[in-house]
Amino acid sequence: MIIRVLLLAGLAAIGYLVFLRRNRLPFHIVTVFGMLGAGGLAVIFPDATNDIAHYVGVSRGADLITYLLEVTVMLVLVHYYTKFVELQRQLTVVTRELAILKAELGRTAPRDPS
Amino acid sequence: MISERQDTYVVIAAYNEARVIRGVVSEVVAAGWPVVVVDDGSRDDTAAAASMPGATVLRHVINLGQGAALQTGIDYAISRGARYVVTFDADGQHSVEDIPELVAALATHDIALGSRFLGKDAVGVTRRRRALLRTATSISNRMSGMKLTDAHCGLRAFRATAAPMLEITQDRMAHASELLRKVQTSGLRVKEIPVTVKYTSHSTQKGQSGFQAIRILFDYFFRPS
Repeated sequence: MIIRVLLLAGLAAIGYLVFLRRNRLPFHIVTVFGMLGAGGLAVIFPDATNDIAHYVGVSRGADLITYLLEVTVMLVLVHYYTKFVELQRQLTVVTRELAILKAELGRTAPRDPS
Repeated sequence: MISERQDTYVVIAAYNEARVIRGVVSEVVAAGWPVVVVDDGSRDDTAAAASMPGATVLRHVINLGQGAALQTGIDYAISRGARYVVTFDADGQHSVEDIPELVAALATHDIALGSRFLGKDAVGVTRRRRALLRTATSISNRMSGMKLTDAHCGLRAFRATAAPMLEITQDRMAHASELLRKVQTSGLRVKEIPVTVKYTSHSTQKGQSGFQAIRILFDYFFRPS
């Protein structure tokens, strides 16, 4: 019983943090709240995960959740790796432009008469 | 020849090369080639050591990698009116005497690639490194579809008009394979020129290890250009 309260409190805290940062796209918000809701239902009705597992051909609810977690973690990794590569590309453009700009400024700046 | 030298910019990407860069840049400047040094966020005094009349020093505020540094230098050289661009290593491996032959090849070709294995030899190269280079060339030839004797020699020359087709987007060392793929797919006329590469304890220390080769392959395949 205590673990259920802790898990639900954790999910609620994550939901609150997402709510505070709700400047993302509606799609992201709906996805996160959908996952939090599903997690909450799995905590409140643990037997339901067994029923769903049997329905899709998995022996136990815990196994089904593990498989879903594996896929989710991989998706999150790919998503953030793609973001990381894109950010790195933007950083490269900015750094290179800055180097050229500073060289141009140094070339065209008037010489100090002293 | 004088005009040709004024129109040809030698681009040197340097990272933590304060110990040797002054000698390298001095030699190239003394031979009459305008030099663009790109200090790729070095933690030492590379930029200060490379500064001298005849050389322009650009500085990346952070370290990006050799590919990005070369592209910065190439862009700058072309913005200054370069007709030909030569890429030259900062660690003292390359010989300034090889530049005229590379540039001369651009009369009939779009890009000239230096090769350590076409007569002039790699000086001081260990057997292990030679095997590594041969393997890298073989893999690179398979990936690019070209038949080169030396796929990763940093001494190259190309026409400024070919630069847009050769734009480097691989920031780190995978740019060498990227460049060859772009040469192949763009249909540019390419020629290999024998060059001398001198291996010193400094350049060997700075060179690519077998482990780094794995990272280069990772970058090539998983950081699409």
